[in-house]
Amino acid sequence: MIFLAVRYLVARRRQTLLMLLGVFFGSAAFVLISGVMLGFRGYLVNQLINTSGHIHIAAREEFLTDHSLDASFYGPLARVFWRVPPSGRKDSAMIEQPQAWYQRLKADPRVVAFSPQLTAGVLFSKGKATATATLIGCDPEQQVRVTTIGDYVTAGRFQDVAAGGGRLALGEELRRKLGVNVGQDVRVSLGPAGGVVPFRVAAVFTTGNRLLDELSYGALADVQKVNGTPNQVNEIVVRLADHALSAQVATTWAALSPEKVESWDQRNAYIFDVFKIQDTVRYSSIGAVMIVAAFGIYNVLAMTVMQKRRDIAILRSMGYSTRDIVVLFLSQGLLLGLSGTSLGLLAGYVISFYLETIRLNAGPIESGIAHILVSRDPSIYLQAAALAFAAASIASILPARAAGRLPPIEIIRAGAE
Amino acid sequence: MAIIARSIGKRLGEPPSDILSGVSMEVRDREFLSITGRSGSGKSTLLYLLSSLDTVSSGAVEIDGQDLGAMSPEELCFFRNRQVGFVFQFHYLLSELSAIENVLMPARKAGEEETRRAYAFNLLEEFGLAGKSDRLPRELSGGELQRLAIARSLIMRPKYLFADEPTGSLDTANGELVVGILRRINQRDGTTVLMVTHDSGFAAAADRQIRLADGRLGEADTSVGASANGRTDRSVAPHDRGGSL
Repeated sequence: MIFLAVRYLVARRRQTLLMLLGVFFGSAAFVLISGVMLGFRGYLVNQLINTSGHIHIAAREEFLTDHSLDASFYGPLARVFWRVPPSGRKDSAMIEQPQAWYQRLKADPRVVAFSPQLTAGVLFSKGKATATATLIGCDPEQQVRVTTIGDYVTAGRFQDVAAGGGRLALGEELRRKLGVNVGQDVRVSLGPAGGVVPFRVAAVFTTGNRLLDELSYGALADVQKVNGTPNQVNEIVVRLADHALSAQVATTWAALSPEKVESWDQRNAYIFDVFKIQDTVRYSSIGAVMIVAAFGIYNVLAMTVMQKRRDIAILRSMGYSTRDIVVLFLSQGLLLGLSGTSLGLLAGYVISFYLETIRLNAGPIESGIAHILVSRDPSIYLQAAALAFAAASIASILPARAAGRLPPIEIIRAGAE
Repeated sequence: MAIIARSIGKRLGEPPSDILSGVSMEVRDREFLSITGRSGSGKSTLLYLLSSLDTVSSGAVEIDGQDLGAMSPEELCFFRNRQVGFVFQFHYLLSELSAIENVLMPARKAGEEETRRAYAFNLLEEFGLAGKSDRLPRELSGGELQRLAIARSLIMRPKYLFADEPTGSLDTANGELVVGILRRINQRDGTTVLMVTHDSGFAAAADRQIRLADGRLGEADTSVGASANGRTDRSVAPHDRGGSL
């Protein structure tokens, strides 16, 4: 019946073209919208995974509540009413037993590398220019194994931060604020009242993410000295062999230790909520296009069934079965779905290359990616094909079944009257 | 007997009314039978019941010893495809297909499109449609369309040909041509032909006529010999089977 289905479609060129365009635009739009969204998302996730490490181990931040200190002062059974309830943070901001963590991480085969860090909020100054920023003390050799920060260095070498002491790697945003270049000095202090320590800029990095480009890195010992916390770290960043295991591993470790252990995706859960909203918008907008396309197919096929009642009757009189008639009309919808989807996917694929040539001149990613990123993940194309084909199939089933149920004798009887 | 109808009836409409009731008749192999009657007499309904296209409300139709009512939908489709040809008042050709493609549609269902292609061309030639095999139905005249429809009905060399007012939409010359073809098919190939017509002139071309009035069998016209529902009809000498058109 495919032969006859094709003839029907060819005979109604204009209607066929309209139905085809519906599926075509739906699948092409899905590919392009998803490609752009997921392209940017992939870039963002890649940065989250690779620039910040897979798992962060940090001192647990535990805040005092009204009754946090009841047991300590008055025993476990006491009921205490505080005139001024206690408040503030109970714990230390430092990891209490980092050596235990180092041993555990070294022994874990899933861990590729880890980097102990001391993060401090500091004030940078260069002449009259000042900027507050986060200074991360680390072992640069370990840091480039744990994160991809070394890949984003645009001047100097990240590992040079460890050479000789008193050296820094600045993010491009911070460098711009201070107006310094590699080889020049900046002064670092914990605040206006703190002691000032001179540092030399050894490297500059540009990730493209403004938040990351406002960070600075120094050798762990130097930052410990500035912060007045020798031999202490407040964070350990871990890289796993498989980043997909991050959440699972982090949850396991969190249960075993007093520290706060979070995976990259747990730390950025809000971003994934945004992704969910994006997906909802993406699927509903493309779904609307597909529904319109499906209605187009349904309407035209239902009309065709009415117009071809005599054909149905004569085919049945020749021995064609109900199933043959269903196939005749269903295959028209499926052919449209198949060809419209194929053309839509092809067009989407080709246009995605053009989109990638569109340059970006503003926004948070201006310095990282100079053009629109489009994902060409096969799953996007599979989803688009499945969605378009499903829409065409569902839209064809009802008219096809109606055609199969038409009693030939009544059509012939009506035709003879 | 090839076709036997046992007290068949058909009720249609709401409230139901009898279109046909208590009709018993027999059709012999290789017979050319015409069914006549006024408009609304039930002659087309009878044809459709005898041909398996419609189902009886009462009674039973037996073809070659098989009760049509007991056949599954698949068996009925196979039976129609292999044993039955239909010609209607309107040609019902598929407008998107060429003449030869229309003729071969039943063969396509049987998976014998290629093996019957030469025969299809023979039919077209015999029916004066040689050289028009690639034309679409809209490029043919009314008479040509009806002859094409007959060619389509014969492509599977059916044992039975059911024709419902095949001359109804034709002028006299074309009508005579079509009836001549039916007569020839019956005589040369031994195809059993049942033709519904309201034209007594065309009906006279048949071996036997039966007349319907108000859904019941009336008096036979030119029938002689064997009985059909108690009425006399003309006995028909068996025609030689075989040979292609």
